[in-house]
Amino acid sequence: MHTEWYIVLSALLFAVGAAGVLLRRSPLVILLCLELMLNAGNLALVAFSRMLGNSDGQIFAIVVMVVAACEVVVGLGLIVAIYRRRLPLNVDELRELRG
Amino acid sequence: MLLFPLLGSIVIGLGYRVWPGRAAGWIGTGAIGLSFAASIGVLISLLDHPDSGRQLSSTLWTYANAAGLDIKLNVFVDPLSVFMILVVSGVSALIHLYSVAYMDSDRGYTRFFSLLNFFVFSMLLLILAGNFVLLIVGWAFVGFASYALISFWYRRATATAAGMKAFVINVFGDVGLVFAAILIFREFGQFDYTDVFRRAPHVFHTNEWTVVAICLLLLVGAFAKSAQLPLHTWLPDAMEGPTPVSALIHAATMVTAGVYLIARTYPLFDLAPTAADIAAFTGLATLLVAGSIALVVTDMKRIIAYSTMSQIGYMVVGVSIGAYSAGLFHLMTHAFFKALLFMAAGSIIAAMANQQNIDRMSGFRRAMPFTGAMLIIGALALSGFTGTSGFFSKDEILAFATDRGSFYWIFTIGGYLGALLTAIYSFRLVFRVLGGEECDEAKELRETGHVVHAEPENPATGEVEDTDVGFPGAEHHIAEQAPPMRIAMAGLGFLALFAGFIQVPGLDNVIHNFLAPTFAASPFERIEPSTAASWEGFAVGTLIALTGIGIAYLLYVRQPATTARLIERLHPVYTLLLNKWYFDELIDVLIVRPALAFGSFCNRTFERVVVQGIVNGTVDVVRGAGGVVRTVQSGFVRSYALLLVTGFAALGLYFLIQSS
Amino acid sequence: MINSVLWTPLVFGVLGLVAPKRYSGWVVTVGAAVTLGLAIALLAGFDSGATGLQDTTDVAWISGLGVRYSLGLDGLNIFLILLTAVLWLPAVAFSAWREPERPRNYFLMLALGETATMGAFVSQDLLLFVLFFDLMLIPFYFLFGVWGQDRPDGVRASAATLKMIIYTLVGSLLMLVGAIATAILAADGGPISFSIADLQHHILSSGSQYWIFCFFAAAFLVKMPAFLLHGWMPDAYRAAPLPALAVFSGVLAKVGAYGFLRIVLPLYPQATIHFQTIVLLIALASILYGSVMAFTQTNVRLIAGYSSVAQLGFITAGIFALRADGANGALLQMVNHGLVVAPIILIIALLAERAGTEDLREMGGEALRAPVLATMFLIVVLATLAMPGSANFIGEFYILNALFQAKIVFAFVAATGMVMSAYYALRLYQRTMHNRKPERVESRDLGLRDGLVLAPLVACIVALAFYPQLILHRTDDSATATVAATCLVPSAQPQGGALGVAGPSYRCPGGFRPSSYAFGPQPAAAVLETNR
Repeated sequence: MHTEWYIVLSALLFAVGAAGVLLRRSPLVILLCLELMLNAGNLALVAFSRMLGNSDGQIFAIVVMVVAACEVVVGLGLIVAIYRRRLPLNVDELRELRG
Repeated sequence: MLLFPLLGSIVIGLGYRVWPGRAAGWIGTGAIGLSFAASIGVLISLLDHPDSGRQLSSTLWTYANAAGLDIKLNVFVDPLSVFMILVVSGVSALIHLYSVAYMDSDRGYTRFFSLLNFFVFSMLLLILAGNFVLLIVGWAFVGFASYALISFWYRRATATAAGMKAFVINVFGDVGLVFAAILIFREFGQFDYTDVFRRAPHVFHTNEWTVVAICLLLLVGAFAKSAQLPLHTWLPDAMEGPTPVSALIHAATMVTAGVYLIARTYPLFDLAPTAADIAAFTGLATLLVAGSIALVVTDMKRIIAYSTMSQIGYMVVGVSIGAYSAGLFHLMTHAFFKALLFMAAGSIIAAMANQQNIDRMSGFRRAMPFTGAMLIIGALALSGFTGTSGFFSKDEILAFATDRGSFYWIFTIGGYLGALLTAIYSFRLVFRVLGGEECDEAKELRETGHVVHAEPENPATGEVEDTDVGFPGAEHHIAEQAPPMRIAMAGLGFLALFAGFIQVPGLDNVIHNFLAPTFAASPFERIEPSTAASWEGFAVGTLIALTGIGIAYLLYVRQPATTARLIERLHPVYTLLLNKWYFDELIDVLIVRPALAFGSFCNRTFERVVVQGIVNGTVDVVRGAGGVVRTVQSGFVRSYALLLVTGFAALGLYFLIQSS
Repeated sequence: MINSVLWTPLVFGVLGLVAPKRYSGWVVTVGAAVTLGLAIALLAGFDSGATGLQDTTDVAWISGLGVRYSLGLDGLNIFLILLTAVLWLPAVAFSAWREPERPRNYFLMLALGETATMGAFVSQDLLLFVLFFDLMLIPFYFLFGVWGQDRPDGVRASAATLKMIIYTLVGSLLMLVGAIATAILAADGGPISFSIADLQHHILSSGSQYWIFCFFAAAFLVKMPAFLLHGWMPDAYRAAPLPALAVFSGVLAKVGAYGFLRIVLPLYPQATIHFQTIVLLIALASILYGSVMAFTQTNVRLIAGYSSVAQLGFITAGIFALRADGANGALLQMVNHGLVVAPIILIIALLAERAGTEDLREMGGEALRAPVLATMFLIVVLATLAMPGSANFIGEFYILNALFQAKIVFAFVAATGMVMSAYYALRLYQRTMHNRKPERVESRDLGLRDGLVLAPLVACIVALAFYPQLILHRTDDSATATVAATCLVPSAQPQGGALGVAGPSYRCPGGFRPSSYAFGPQPAAAVLETNR
């Protein structure tokens, strides 16, 4: 079994996610892409865990999933709130935090 | 003995609302009377001891003791302190008696007696203190009591300003004493009189710089308290207080504390002749300057105040050149006649509705015969007229100066010159006030027996007085009519006339012999002017007193126009004297103004520019840095993300390069 | 015992939080009273003869970092604890009479302040000290910021408070760095300990002492505040609510001075000697600058504030004379100054209530209808200007004596501060109590309530005036031991009649005979070696 392929897949997934975060303007899509990146990380963790025969990485992956679930909840909540206030669903126009 | 006045003060103070009428006055007087009785008790018990054993010391409790500085509350009794407490408590008792009636119409009656009793307590503490620190404590208490009584009528702006001046100058003196005490501690490792004086001759050589420094520092304290040049400016201003205060504090007792101090620390001054000479010359200068100013001042109480300064000059000369018993003798007689003069002046001022200008007074001899007689007795004693108390004591100092040899004849000459001035100004006062046409107030007083006063106003500013705080209202007591005042004045009058006879050269020597145990160690104790020399001095003194009185008579009675001509002729001198030799202005320019200017500089410029400048500078730097960083915060989420990714990529790259 | 003194106020503060609004103030007042009782019991049980710490508590707290919850009592802090307890009670009671807004929070903050201050005084662990030192800031931040007043002349309470916080926080962060550095450097690879007693056995090299000293000095001098570091003081004093200011000025300023004695002198002796002149110069500048500013100010609060700058200058000078008498005087003076400045600020509050203004020029003539208030104020003012006969005088006398023996010129300069203090203190009294009464000023005497608050403080001042030995007796050993660490100090016990002869060795600071000293453990001797 070759761990490299898993890693390559993980890297690809991560790159796709990162590109999505950087290029898309819709917060919903950005959130999806973030999930993609997290899962890329998970994949790498599990793969390495298998390679080393140590289950620590798998535990980490589960923790990451929990965190990701929380993040999705908060993120979707925010998006719904933005939508309810009839603000544009476009991250470039949501720039109240400019210093 | 210390306890009585303190208790009196506290009792009166606490019951300020309760005491009806004159009760506070009688309690106060009683307390001081008891204190006087106790002093006599101490005197008697001291006389039981043999000459050599007349120095007793007892410790109440340890006041502060840490790191080697051991300060005890101890009381030191020897002939000198007994002499002083007798004079202080005796004169105080009489003045309290006088005030019982004098202050009657004053609203601050209880406050007055509470403070007056506190003053006597402090003065006794000062005298009985057994070490330098306790001395400083008494010293400062006295200064505080003086402050509180000067600004007794505290809604009078001039009075509060005068009080402040007196207090600050006295604190300056205190600091001098503090350093003297510290220096003494450095040399001796303790503060106790007995030990310090006993060991002084072994620790110092004559005129070693340390002992000179100690003495000079002591002198700073002594001069501030005794109103000697150039720290005297507070005393004339202190006349803003009620007259009994002027009599008690600013003539009879407190201001002589400096003389007491020099006499008390004589073992140190004996070792530092330089300092003693400086003291003597300062005394001489004060005596002449004050005497000359008294010639032109028109405020009745200030004339007497300047004369006090000048008489203290005599005492300082006396104790500084080694004539300890003579100086202290003069201290005692001066307390009698000066208190008397102030009391008489107080009566007249009361009759004049607190008008103190002698230009406005005249012809009181028939309206107030008793007061007039007392004023004359006081003036005679002050100018050293033959047979009065001032005559014997002053001339004894001068005779000693002649006898001491070397350059000390200067003091004799200067002293006689001063005596001439004294005679002139004191009889100027007498002739102006008692002689001449009757002024309106005197006439009214003689015809109706009382004076209807106009609304009192402050002569210095013309403000109407605020009688709420206790400034005597319209129905002010006229001096002569109250028995307590008469008793007090008569008693002092008697003493002023005859107290001199307890020490007449060739006949008796009571004071000298009594004080001998204290000063036994002094080399000057052996110098004693021969009887013949003393009597020669007396003859000169008589002559001078008579001349002075004669001149005064000529100037102020015979040819009143002469003064005006003299003023015209000697205009610069007159201006100089009228402005009190410009000492106030000198101090103002040298100390007060620079301090205030520095203060406002700090306040306006330094605080704003430097201190707040540091703050604002820091704020500006932080804000500027923030401005730079702020541009990064564009608010574009995706640019943040890009930054993040780039950062991680860079980090990853770095680790890759590192590991390969 | 010591724990109960420390935590009682906070416990009552929390109780006050759940009590009905009207009573929360009284709950905390009772807490302050209980604390005072406990503190007095602590004093009663204090053995002045024993050396070292008494009544200690020592528990491991953060064992990984070597931080211990270590408290202890000795001559240095016993009276400062008592002072804290004495001053907090009237301040709390004074506020309780006046019923501030949002009382529960207000009193909780006051109570927290007391616990934090006590903590700073009793902790014997460096990190614990730093912790309490910073904890003190929190309640006062809220007290000044929330309950403070904006001034018509443009000082805003929130801005003033922020300024104060930034100043002190910079200082305490530096101190935190210093504390950690001390522990790590002293451990030298071994187990880390923050215990002050342990650290005393491992004195650092002089190079690291120097910079750590500067960090600590910055924190303490800001707290006092000393000259040039007092920029936060004027605004904060103008904005603060007066009862909180009374304890702030009365106690918190002393923590800085106390820190020098507790930490800096024993732990960084060489640096202390090295920087002695500089700190003395700062102290003298504080005295002069504070006094001069105090007599040109017209705002009564600022007079109190700048006079504190001057007084704290005296205390610092006493400590840095590096002699036993100076340290004793400084300790005595800390208590004295706390005891006078708190009533002054409370009286200022009363006067401002009557005059409707805090401008000295618009006050006056109060004494006639308010003789009791005037008398109390007079006593306090006289103590402030250190009139001989007050305990303040003894304090200043000790300090001046130490300065005189250590650096003679400094003593003379410091003495001008004494003269100026007479002027500004008396000016404050005269302008408020004497002279003509302006129309607007209302003249009425002290009510019974405020009388109850002020009278005990005045009584303390008077009692100490009669017997300052009460304090000196207990501080002597500890103060002496503390300065002994710097090795410059003589035992100063006059040895009978021989002293006058033994002058030379007694006079010059360098020539003292440390052997005549009852040194604590090793460190002092070790430093001695490095000194030579």
